Amino acid sequence: MSKDFEQQLRDALQPVDPEEGFDQRVMARIAQERSRSRTKITRWASVALAASVLFVAVLGAHQWQLRREQEGLEARKQLIEALRLTGEKLDVAYQAVNRESSPPADDGSGA
Amino acid sequence: MIMRALFKHSILTLCGVLSLCASAFAADGQLKIPEFAGLADKAAESVIITLDPSLLRLAARFLDPADPQDAAAREAIAGIKGIYVRSYKFDADFAYPKADVDLVRKQLGAPGWQRLVEVRSRKEQQNVDIYLLVEQEKANGLAIIASQPREFTIVNIVGSIDMRKLHELEGQFGIPKLEIEEKK
Repeated sequence: MSKDFEQQLRDALQPVDPEEGFDQRVMARIAQERSRSRTKITRWASVALAASVLFVAVLGAHQWQLRREQEGLEARKQLIEALRLTGEKLDVAYQAVNRESSPPADDGSGA
Repeated sequence: MIMRALFKHSILTLCGVLSLCASAFAADGQLKIPEFAGLADKAAESVIITLDPSLLRLAARFLDPADPQDAAAREAIAGIKGIYVRSYKFDADFAYPKADVDLVRKQLGAPGWQRLVEVRSRKEQQNVDIYLLVEQEKANGLAIIASQPREFTIVNIVGSIDMRKLHELEGQFGIPKLEIEEKK
């Protein structure tokens, strides 16, 4: 009984030559696995990069919009101030011209 | 000798080009306002406004059409290409360089500029000059030089100035009723 088992074990553990092209297939499989994992990493990196670029672009656009709005409000303030100053000086000239052209006030002497 | 002649020729050409540029510069109504460097530090109050075409457009976008004052301002600046203001107030008499102000006044002697109003008030020691750049019967520029012992203001508006629109600004921004007669 034990001799039979021993024989069976010996038969089972007998070295067997691999089929022809086994090592090529193993190497090809390894290369395929490597390439697949590399593709996965590349894809994730691309997605992350695109997301970062989009985030930076949105943030940049928002900042630009804010700055533009501040510049616009400042320009508006300057415009109003410029028109106010122009008006003030026009008024000075207008008052002076009016004083010059208005007839002298009646002194009530009645002639 | 040839080199000297060439040099002289190129200097003359350069002068010609520069004078052409200068006349083009004057023709668009924009005055060369001095830097007034360091004056802001001496002044009690200073207003420096430089609104070029792009800033004017930007300012116009921020004017509220529902606000009558803003709406009038938007109308008034429709044909205007630039507004430049320099205004300084001082605590002492004649603390500003009169020569710089005269330099601006001198530019208004160029062809096209016409003096609209000249105010010389001895009592208030106030001088106000208003000039218009008139081209083909159209006002293409406005300059105001107002000076008093303790203050001076230079206003230069560049571009087509519609007197009717200016008229519409009456009562706003302190602009008086100008009573401009319309041609019939």
